[in-house]
Amino acid sequence: MRLWVKISLVTILALFITSGISGAVVIYHSALYNREKTIENYEQQVKATAYALGKELENTDLESYSQVAVNSFFNFMIKKFGASQYILIEKGQVVCNLTPFEFVDPDFGRWNQSEVYSAIQKNAMQYVLIAGKAVPVSGKADFSLILVQDISYLYEEIREQILFSIAVLAGAALAAAGLVFFFMKRILKPLHELQQAAKDISEGHLARRADVNAKDEIGAMAENFNHMAEQIENQVMELASVSEQRRQMLGSLTHELKTPMTSIIGYADTLLFVKLKKEQRQCALKHIHEECRRLERLSSKLMSLMGLYENDSILLEEVSIKELFEQAAELEAYHLKEKGIQLKVSCNMKSKKVDRDLFISLLINLIDNGIKASRKGDVIWLEGTENRIVVRDQGCGISKEEISQVREAFYMVDKSRSRKDGGCGLGLALCDKIAALHNARLLIESELGKGTSVSIIF
Amino acid sequence: MKTKILVIEDDSSISELICMNLEAAGYEATPLFDGLCAEAFLKEEGKNKAALALVDVMLPGKDGFALMEDLQRAEIPVIYLTAKDDVISKVHGLKSGAEDYIVKPFEVLELLVRIDKVLKRTGRGAQKLQIRNVVIDIREHSVIKDGQQVKLKPMEYELLVLLAKSKNIAFSREELLNRLWGTDYVGETRTVDVHIGQLRKKLDFHDVICTISKTGYRLEDLD
Repeated sequence: MRLWVKISLVTILALFITSGISGAVVIYHSALYNREKTIENYEQQVKATAYALGKELENTDLESYSQVAVNSFFNFMIKKFGASQYILIEKGQVVCNLTPFEFVDPDFGRWNQSEVYSAIQKNAMQYVLIAGKAVPVSGKADFSLILVQDISYLYEEIREQILFSIAVLAGAALAAAGLVFFFMKRILKPLHELQQAAKDISEGHLARRADVNAKDEIGAMAENFNHMAEQIENQVMELASVSEQRRQMLGSLTHELKTPMTSIIGYADTLLFVKLKKEQRQCALKHIHEECRRLERLSSKLMSLMGLYENDSILLEEVSIKELFEQAAELEAYHLKEKGIQLKVSCNMKSKKVDRDLFISLLINLIDNGIKASRKGDVIWLEGTENRIVVRDQGCGISKEEISQVREAFYMVDKSRSRKDGGCGLGLALCDKIAALHNARLLIESELGKGTSVSIIF
Repeated sequence: MKTKILVIEDDSSISELICMNLEAAGYEATPLFDGLCAEAFLKEEGKNKAALALVDVMLPGKDGFALMEDLQRAEIPVIYLTAKDDVISKVHGLKSGAEDYIVKPFEVLELLVRIDKVLKRTGRGAQKLQIRNVVIDIREHSVIKDGQQVKLKPMEYELLVLLAKSKNIAFSREELLNRLWGTDYVGETRTVDVHIGQLRKKLDFHDVICTISKTGYRLEDLD
């Protein structure tokens, strides 16, 4: 069953039960009150009549009357006071009865008291009220006056009232049910929208959001739901872009592997099947050797790159940057001398928390890049200031379009030259990753023909 | 005069590999290392200065597909040589007017055979082959040793031409059998040995046609 139907039914049922019970209680009480009032009314009447009759009897000398005259007198008196409602009893004997009822109760004592006694009798068709009391006559025989009144109309009234109440209640309940259904449906409509949105998202429409304007709990829930959907969408996008990057990297990798493979297979093939001059054989062997070296370099760089991706735990320790610079300069000294390039080091930086080995490899990579770009006699600067380390050269520079790409794995600005120098296009990708591990970023600025400066900004 | 082949390839080691093999097989190879160099070279040299060009698709400066126009203007047939082995690149290469498309890594023998086929098809192959004192006249179908015609059976002649066209390159017996007698031929590799024996005897090529153990034969003639 739908939630809104459930809630509506429960509400309607509760409404029915409570209003039914309270209605019944109210009707019962008002009926009781009505009856009490009616009975009291008649009792007052009996009292007044008995009193008046007593006075009449006191002033009349009944003993001087014949029996017939006495009877007529009684009849006359009763008629005078109360028409056909009364029965007069003398010493337990009915002396006058003008009612359509027959007095059958012989228990005279009940009716012969100074206070009014009343009872309700029910026969086949009617409810009858009987109220009686002694007639206060001094010195004369005992008389009792009894009032008999058909009060069926009272019960009829109560019955009608009950029926009317039930009708009103039923009508009100029906109207309430309609209203409850209508409002429940309206209030719970956003839930339906939320459910639909969840379904759509699970089917892959990640851009779907729940369109709910309610300001209640459902509105809050929809807001949270949308927030969640956005997070999921972002994460999925991120994953997709990461996997796309991986795919591209793998594509570049296979291409990078293919070139040395072609050389190695080709030269090996040639050595096996082709008659060559001695110097040509040497040359072929040299090429195989070189290409294998290139593959080895590629694989070790790739390994370190993978290692950096997989293992984010690095050993950070307080290291003097000046010391690091000296170490890097020492490691590059031979390479620099060979190429006739000068390295100028200056450092105003104190110590920093870095991974010593990784950071030296980062510096060496950057200096190597500088050496590759420089000509004989050029200068490379390695400078440390407040919170940045800059490696600057006077080399050939990188064009604007290419600066954004140089960090991608396997990207080479000058492919053939880069290969001749033994590069494989992973250097800056590696540097970028190492910098990121130190919570630093790499800023590359360059102008064609004037030089390049790479800054590590902490 | 040797047949001249342009090798337009940016990777120096692969370029050298191709040139080395082409020279061993008796061609003259001219290496060019990038697209712009190749373009300048073609403009300068004019028409028909080379019989064939081996072109790498991914070149710095101007890529191989873009060079096609210059090569066609110079009337030089093209074989693309590339690491891209997807169908679209192949179709693109062949549709643009290339004679053939070879994917790296390739075998040397395959490259030479394809070059020979293209040269034959475009009529640019050498008309005369000289191995020491023997001259093979392809147009005349004749073999002359020291000015004297040598009588060879048709199959012996075909075998000699095949070996001479890819001289210094080793052929296996199966390869020779397939190329000369066709793949349908149900014969033994002994047939090849017999024909080689005949050639050696008739041309006195005992030390020219060498037996390569476990492989086959090679016609050796280093300049």
